[in-house]
Amino acid sequence: MSTLKLAMQNFRSSVKNYLALIISMSFTILILLNFQNVIYSDSFAVLGTRNKDYVDTIIQMICVVLGCFMFFFIWYSTNVFLTKRKKEIGIYVFMGLSNQKIGKLYMLESLMTGLAALVIGIGSGMLVSQLFQMILLAISDIAVEIKFRFDIKPVIITAVVYLAIYLIFVVKGYVSIVRSSVLDMVSASRQNEYVKQKNWILIVKAIAGTVVLAAGYYMALKKSGQEMLLAAVAAVVLVIAGVYLLFGGLIPLFFQGLKRKKTFLYKGQRTLWVNNLIFRIRKNYRTYAMTSVLMLCSVTALAAGFAIKIRYDNIVHFRNTYTFQLLTNQKGLGTTAEELIKKDNEIAYQSEITMLQLDEGLFEDQEFRTLRAILPYSQLKQLAKDTGLEFSLPEPGVDEEIDMENMPLLSLASADQNAVVKINGKEFRQIAQTEVPYLGYLQESVSYYVVNDRVYNELLPLGQQLYTYNYRISDIYNFRESLDELDTITSNTAENYTARVAIDPKDSEVEWMKVTYSVCIFMFMVFILASGCILFMKVYNDAFEEQERYRVLQKIGIGREMLGGAIARELSMTYAMPFVVMAVSSYFSVHALGNVMNTDLLAVNVVSVVVILLFSVLCYVLSVLVYRKLLNLDIKK
Amino acid sequence: MKEKKVVEIRHLLKDYGTKGFQTRVLKGIDLEIFQNDFIAIMGPSGSGKTTLLNILSSIDKPTQGSVMLDGQDITKISNRELSRLRREKIGFVFQDYNLLDTMTLQDNIALPLSLSGVPAKECIQRTTAIAKSFGLEEHLTKYPYQLSGGQKQRGATSRALITNPEIIFADEPTGALDSKSSRDLLECLKMVNDQKKATILMVTHDAFCASYAKDVYILSDGMIQCKLSKGADRREFYDRIIDMQASMGGDFA
Repeated sequence: MSTLKLAMQNFRSSVKNYLALIISMSFTILILLNFQNVIYSDSFAVLGTRNKDYVDTIIQMICVVLGCFMFFFIWYSTNVFLTKRKKEIGIYVFMGLSNQKIGKLYMLESLMTGLAALVIGIGSGMLVSQLFQMILLAISDIAVEIKFRFDIKPVIITAVVYLAIYLIFVVKGYVSIVRSSVLDMVSASRQNEYVKQKNWILIVKAIAGTVVLAAGYYMALKKSGQEMLLAAVAAVVLVIAGVYLLFGGLIPLFFQGLKRKKTFLYKGQRTLWVNNLIFRIRKNYRTYAMTSVLMLCSVTALAAGFAIKIRYDNIVHFRNTYTFQLLTNQKGLGTTAEELIKKDNEIAYQSEITMLQLDEGLFEDQEFRTLRAILPYSQLKQLAKDTGLEFSLPEPGVDEEIDMENMPLLSLASADQNAVVKINGKEFRQIAQTEVPYLGYLQESVSYYVVNDRVYNELLPLGQQLYTYNYRISDIYNFRESLDELDTITSNTAENYTARVAIDPKDSEVEWMKVTYSVCIFMFMVFILASGCILFMKVYNDAFEEQERYRVLQKIGIGREMLGGAIARELSMTYAMPFVVMAVSSYFSVHALGNVMNTDLLAVNVVSVVVILLFSVLCYVLSVLVYRKLLNLDIKK
Repeated sequence: MKEKKVVEIRHLLKDYGTKGFQTRVLKGIDLEIFQNDFIAIMGPSGSGKTTLLNILSSIDKPTQGSVMLDGQDITKISNRELSRLRREKIGFVFQDYNLLDTMTLQDNIALPLSLSGVPAKECIQRTTAIAKSFGLEEHLTKYPYQLSGGQKQRGATSRALITNPEIIFADEPTGALDSKSSRDLLECLKMVNDQKKATILMVTHDAFCASYAKDVYILSDGMIQCKLSKGADRREFYDRIIDMQASMGGDFA
C-alpha cells in the first residue's frame, strides 16, 4: 500500500475524531474571509472614500489580530492532533517504517485535515458573507442595498494566510516525528509523570503572578496625563503575563493545598475531581490563561464598541445643536437671518452671543488650535437660557476663565485643572471646563474662553467684536431649503464679514465610527466563540485521555452517576477559573478604556460579563454531555 | 461447621458471537464459594477463565444460569444496584494494577471509601492501617509512577480490601510482576485470607501462584475438569498442580 493510500484510509477512518479540529479551524477561516471580504466589497463605499479608508484600516488591523489568533489556534490544535496521533503512529515503527516515512504519513494526513478545513471554511465563509455584511451594515445603521458579488481576492488572501500558518505547523510536526525516538511515540499518550510540580516553583510563580497582575491593574486605573497610553500598554502586557503566571502558579498551588488537606479531600467525589484538576492544570494552564485573555479581549472589544457608539452619538448631538450659525461683524443681522429662515423653516430655538476675537500675538501659546475667542459670562448664561442647555458654570473672577471644549473621540491627556492662560501678559487661571455645546459646531473649531464681564470689557479695545447668531430649525432634514436665502447675506469683505455654518444631519464625516462600533460587536462575538471553542476542544481532547481512567473506575465498581458528578464538578472548575479571572480583570480593562474615552462603561462591562457567563454555561453543559458520552463505556465490553 | 456461602454459581452458560455463529465458551459451571475460601482457577488459554471472572465480577452477563452473590442474583439486578454491589461487596485486583496515575497512593486506596461517603477521618485511619499491613506506609504520598510494580500491586490490593468486601476477585494478580514481588503479593493475599478471613477468587495460569490458594479448580473447554485441595504443605501442592497440568496437556499460557 502506498503512503498516500494509507494516509487516505487513516484520514477517512479518523475523520470523525478530528471533526472538532476541522470545524474549529474552518471557523477561523470563515471569520477571516468575511472580514477580508468587507475590504474588497463596495458595501461601505457609500460612506465616501475617507470613511471607507478608515473602515478598511480598522478591518485591516482586525485581520492582523485575527491572523495572530489563527496562528495560535492552529499551533494549539495541530499540537493536540500530533500527540493524539503519536501513539498510533508508533505502531508503524514496529511495522518497520522509518521515521521519515511516518513523518510523511503524518504530513499527508494533516494536509488532508487542513484542506478539508480550508474547503469547509471558504465554502461556508462565502455562503455567510452576504449575511455578515448585511448584519454589519444593519448594526452600523447604514442603509445600502447589497448585491451578491464574488471576489476571488479575499479568498486567495485568506487561503494563503491560513495555508502558510498551517504548513509551518505541519512541517514542525514532521520534524518532531523525525526527531523523536520510538519510545516517545509509543508512550506519547501515557506520559503522566511529573504530576507534581516543585512547590517552590509554584510559590515563586504565584507571588510573581499576583504582583504582576496587581501592577497591571494599578496601571489600568492610573490617570497619568500624557503617559496614559504608555500605562495602558503596560497594563495590557502586565495583565496578560499576570494571568499566565496566576494559572501557572497560584491556582495549582491553591488546589495542591486543598489536596493536602485530606479531611477536605475525602468527601464525596472530591478525591477524583480535585486530583484530576491538579493533574490537568499542569498541561492546561496555558489554555486556561489563553481563554481568560481572549474573553477579556472580547469584553474590552464590546466596551470599546459601546464607548465609540456613545461618543458618536454625542458628537452628532453636539454638532446638531444648531442647524445654522452666522458669524459676522454686523450687529443686528440676527433679525434679518431669522426672517430668511422662517420663509422655509420653523425655528425651534435660537440664540446669540458676542465674542471677542483677539490678535493671536496676545496669547502666550500653549495650544495647537489657532482660532480663539473670548466670551462674556453673562451672555453665555443668557444663551443657555435661550437654548435650554444646562448651565452650572461658576462666574469666573477677574483672573479666572472657563474653557469650552469640543467632544473628542479619545482624550489621552487628562484634564489639567490648574491650566493657566496668558492673555496680553495677564494670567487667567482655568476654574472649569465644559463640554456642553453652547456654540455647537463653532465650538469644535474655535477655542473659547469664558471670562468675567468686566474683564471682557477691559479686553474689548484689543480685538474685534464678532456676533454669532445660532438657529435650530424644527425639521433639521429640511435645512437645504433655507440655504439660498441665507447665502444672500454672506459676505467676505473687510467691512462686512459674514460667514454661515449649516449642519447636514446626514453628514457622514464620522460614519466610520458606526462601522467600528459594529465591528467591535463582531469581535466580541468572535472572541467569545474562540475562547469557547478552545476550551471545548481541550475538554474534548481530555475526554479521550480520560477514557482509560474512567474504564478503571467503572471496573472497580464506581457508578456512572458518581463519575458523572465528578466530571461535572471538574468541568465546572475548568470553565469557572478562566471566567472569574476574566471577570475581575475586565473591570480594570474596561475602566481604563472608560478613562481614555471619557465614558462610564460599567453597565457595558456587567452586561458583557453576563453574556459570557451564559455562553460559558452553555459550553459547560455541552462539554459535560460530550464528556459523558465519550466516557460512557458500557459495562459489557 | 461450614462458613457462610458467599457466591453460588448455577449452570452458567455463556455464548459469544452472532446468531448462527455462536461459540459456547462456558458450558455449564457450578461452583460454591464460602467465606474465608481462597480459590484459584487455572486453565489453558481459551478455557473461559477470564469470561468466568468477568461474569462473577458483574462486568459481563451470562447467557444462562445464575450467580448469587450474598443472596442476590447479580445477573438480574439493575445497573445502579450493580454499581453499589461492586463498590461495597466486591474488591478487584487486576493484572495491570489499574491505579489512577492522577493521584497519590493514599488517595487511590481511599477512593472507594470516600466515594461511599465514609467520613474523612475514618478514611485516613483505615488507609494508614491497611497500608501498614501491606508494608506501604512510607509510600502513601507517592504517585503510582514513583512506585515499583510490586508496590503498585500491593497498593491495588489495599484498595480492593479497604471496603471490607465479601469477596476479592483477582485476575492474574502476579502477571506483570517479577518472582520476588509475586511472592510478596501472594504472601499478602494469604495473610488477609488467614488473618482477616477475606474470601479470594483468583484466576491464574501460573502453578506457583495457584499453590498459595486453598483449592484449585482446573477449567478446560468451558467446564471445570477437576478440583485440587491443598494439604499441609504448599510445595507438595505445587507439585500436584504441575502433575495435573502435565497430565491434561494443552497450552497453559
